Amino acid sequence: MVSRAAAAIRTRPRREREAEVLVWPDLVFIEFISALIFSIALMVLSAMVNAPLLNRADPDTTPNPSKAPWYFLNLQELLLHMEPAWAGVIVPTIALVLLAAIPYWDRDQEGQGIWFGTKFAGRLTVFGFTAATMVTSLLIIWDGSLHVVWTENIIRGLGLNSDFTWPGGLDWFRNLRGFDTGIPWESLGFTIGGFTMFDDWRAIPLGIPGTTTDPWLLNLNFPSFLSQQLIPVATMVGLPVLFVLFCKMLGWIHTRRDIALLIFSAFIGVYLTTTIVGTAFRGQGQDLKPPWDIVVLEE
Amino acid sequence: MANLERAPRKSFNDLIYDLIFKNYVWQSIFRTGYPNTPRNQMLAVATNVFLHLHPTRIHRTHVKITHTYCLGGLSFFMFLGLTVTGVLLMFYYVPSIERAYQDIQVLESNVRFGQLLRNMHRWMAHAMIILVLLHMMRVFYTGAYKPPREFNWVVGVVLFILTLLLSFTGYLLPWDQLAFWAITVGTTMVGSAPVLGDESKFLLLGGFSVGPNALIRFYTLHVIGLPLVISIFMAVHFWRVRRDGGLARPL
Repeated sequence: MVSRAAAAIRTRPRREREAEVLVWPDLVFIEFISALIFSIALMVLSAMVNAPLLNRADPDTTPNPSKAPWYFLNLQELLLHMEPAWAGVIVPTIALVLLAAIPYWDRDQEGQGIWFGTKFAGRLTVFGFTAATMVTSLLIIWDGSLHVVWTENIIRGLGLNSDFTWPGGLDWFRNLRGFDTGIPWESLGFTIGGFTMFDDWRAIPLGIPGTTTDPWLLNLNFPSFLSQQLIPVATMVGLPVLFVLFCKMLGWIHTRRDIALLIFSAFIGVYLTTTIVGTAFRGQGQDLKPPWDIVVLEE
Repeated sequence: MANLERAPRKSFNDLIYDLIFKNYVWQSIFRTGYPNTPRNQMLAVATNVFLHLHPTRIHRTHVKITHTYCLGGLSFFMFLGLTVTGVLLMFYYVPSIERAYQDIQVLESNVRFGQLLRNMHRWMAHAMIILVLLHMMRVFYTGAYKPPREFNWVVGVVLFILTLLLSFTGYLLPWDQLAFWAITVGTTMVGSAPVLGDESKFLLLGGFSVGPNALIRFYTLHVIGLPLVISIFMAVHFWRVRRDGGLARPL
């Protein structure tokens, strides 16, 4: 049994001189050529496409939609589905910390230096990426209430019921907010052992009487907490766990590296999907729209 | 007495070669001759301040394009290009809300190659973000973050954040509607942070909304603050690549 410290300084066997090449010219040449190709490509791009310059900044005229730079549109997309503190700060912070922590969790030195080092790495990558992309798209479609529009259009279009509308009983399933507004919370009070619980679900007293705490802690708005924090966070934690369990069941996961491969690929899928949706599919009022229907209004 | 054993006549090529590479000035600069022998080739790398980031020899698998796709090197190359174009842009730009927008218009219409310069800076900035992301994916999928390279992966994550911040601070500078509202949206997100949200936003903007103070803060961070910080992290990153044994390869 090699101790952890000894394992950490385990070095590879003696250098094999015959397997080595000289940096000059072999590597320097490649670097030079790639730099040249990129210089030319960017020069051509710059000659053809101009950097955008709109009207002078005017604090009184708000463009609709207003968007952050494209690399933050994944966060702006999250913003539409949960409490701003989670979307704008907590989720990205946790994501970056977890990203940085990967090598401290997956410490096995095996499988470095080769693409997709484990037996099922290819499948895990493809599955993680595809499944995450599809689930994210479905969640966005659902929260954008597109399923409501589509169901109404299909039923009307088929002539089954020409003035069909989404049933009121399913209002809670319109979108994420539906859990907040579509459920008759007022009638859902209950009693346990003689105590009447939550007559008012929108102001559940949490603070200790006589102390001063944050107002929202004093009176928790449970429906809003459910739709803006509990469900989004449970989804973001639960789906990766489900992915791992599912792949474990299929027998694809044997090491921590496998789990890392699955979750990282899923992360890339979510990152890409939210960036693309945020960039190309959000129109006025951040409504879901196909790219060709998006017009920016100045209000 | 005449010397009967004359040296063999030099060919014309050799004459030219000696003239260029064996003269006093060339050798004062480069020390080693032209790198056409293994010894000179190693010395060319080892004695050059820029090239000595590299070892003199590397494993054959590491010069295969498909092993790295040059992504890390190209990210750095974008940084160099952005520095050059950025310095040139600074000649024409004053970070005040009275002048900023007008300066960009003048740059685009009255400065020779001004539009091209600005385009290059913009597209290189976008390219750098994409390249850094792809580089991170390459390192992950080749398992190159594994011990002993854990810390360098962390440095890489920091470099990714700094790249985004550099781009974000540059986004405001043209002072057009795109810039203004993108930064307004972005800093509003910062403001929603629990506990320190409002304070962080105020620190970043130098006020409660995007205005002259925000412009000068973003400008200073963009042209000197963040470039200094990212240079330090890049130095550590490159140094650690060498110290941790070069590129990862199977044990």
